[in-house]
Amino acid sequence: MTVTRKRKSLKRAGENRVRFLVNGNRVDLGIGEEEHQVGYSETLAETLRERLGLTGTKVTCDNGACGTCTVLMDGKAVLSCMTLTVECGGKNITTIEGLRHPETGALDPIQQAFIDEGAFQCGFCTPGIIMSAKALLLENGAPTEHEVKEALSGNFCRCITHYQVVRAVLAAAPGGK
Amino acid sequence: MRSFSYVDAYSVEEAVSALGRFGAKARINAGGTDLMGLLKDEYLPTYPEVLVNVKNIPGLDSVSEEGELLRIGALARLSELGRSPLLLERYPALAEAAYAVASPQIRNVATLAGNLCQDVRCAYYRYPAQVGGAIGCARKHNGPCLAVKGDNRYHAIMGGRKCFAVCPSDTAVALAAFDASLTVIGPHGEHSIPIADFYTPLAHRLKHGELVIRIEVPAVSLPHQRFFKFALRRPIDFAIVSVAVVASVEDGVCSDVRIALGAIAPGPVRATEAEEFLRGKPINDETASAASELALGGVKPLGRNGYKVAIAKSLVKRGLLGEGGNLLKE
Repeated sequence: MTVTRKRKSLKRAGENRVRFLVNGNRVDLGIGEEEHQVGYSETLAETLRERLGLTGTKVTCDNGACGTCTVLMDGKAVLSCMTLTVECGGKNITTIEGLRHPETGALDPIQQAFIDEGAFQCGFCTPGIIMSAKALLLENGAPTEHEVKEALSGNFCRCITHYQVVRAVLAAAPGGK
Repeated sequence: MRSFSYVDAYSVEEAVSALGRFGAKARINAGGTDLMGLLKDEYLPTYPEVLVNVKNIPGLDSVSEEGELLRIGALARLSELGRSPLLLERYPALAEAAYAVASPQIRNVATLAGNLCQDVRCAYYRYPAQVGGAIGCARKHNGPCLAVKGDNRYHAIMGGRKCFAVCPSDTAVALAAFDASLTVIGPHGEHSIPIADFYTPLAHRLKHGELVIRIEVPAVSLPHQRFFKFALRRPIDFAIVSVAVVASVEDGVCSDVRIALGAIAPGPVRATEAEEFLRGKPINDETASAASELALGGVKPLGRNGYKVAIAKSLVKRGLLGEGGNLLKE
């Protein structure tokens, strides 16, 4: 009860908040410069990794060029390092942690396909690649090889696993061969 | 990132009022993909104090053809433009240019006006503060242009003055071929700036306190359109040279053509002499070669960017002839 009352009083005081979904869970954060609050300059990648503990989302270049921080925002692939958390209000964010089945814990078919095809070496770029692939498959259940390559063109892998990655995405496409 | 304060604008009026209130201290945030680079690298002498978020202004992302004008809202996302049925049918060069930008993730959030107003990519200009300090230069009004004697491989081969950075926008090139203009709103109301006049060597013409609200493209019946971008890696990288060719060919003879070149000057460059030369002529190897020479007639490369001239000529030729044959005859 105390907590509820406190929340209400905070609301009355007009505290600025940002609310959004991450992997189906509600996230409700105060905005401000205090330690427990999200600053205006905090990126979604920072919030996911450092505030919510979702370290599956990786940060490599932190400048929009490498794609490792890719997450889904309302089903579309976006770069979490180039997104301000305060601008995520009302959005539905999905990270690599949100792909497994919420009840059974079974891996998403795309994750299983990456394992089956051995589509990684060091694995650091893999969460970003899988999220880009997921965005593609949500939009297009039967992509061609060209469409897979286009959809993954913003994700870089330095281990050169690209061939296995393309095979894995095609294998995971429900309408693909 | 260093902290800043933040204003959400839910209408054009609110945005203009906020931008007017904060003046040079404010930055417009739409897609944010270019702005984040500035905020993270702190390459300018002053750090923005306020972001004015305009991405939630309703109705500013529509694409419609009204009478003799194609109107594209400033917030139209590049991913939407790249697959817009209207653009693909009537303005495919613009759809191609939007698709040529950056990566899928960036196109999902980046806006057309943001692509036009983005900051230049000169490596001296954008050198990050965290790695030994930002570099002063002519564009920042605090030093000479280091590219003149330094690494100018990606700089202007024509039109530079004091600063030799090139306009990095791909969509600006297609829009230049269409004679498009930007509609800008500020404290004193709306005005229109032709894209040909929007870029100057030291800055683009959007003043503090102003906001681009739409891009207007006069309707054209130039069905043969092509956009080519040469970059080191196709995704992510900015153009070394890009070209948009928009033409009408009847009975094998070119009745009208417009050629715009990108990433060779502070703004997109229309090859007017080449256009004039081609009108009324058949498009073949010979005329395309002659046109490419005319298009690059006025170049003055710097020390290390002469290679761009050859690439530009070959892109103009390819734009006219198509890859593997004369597609304009289709």
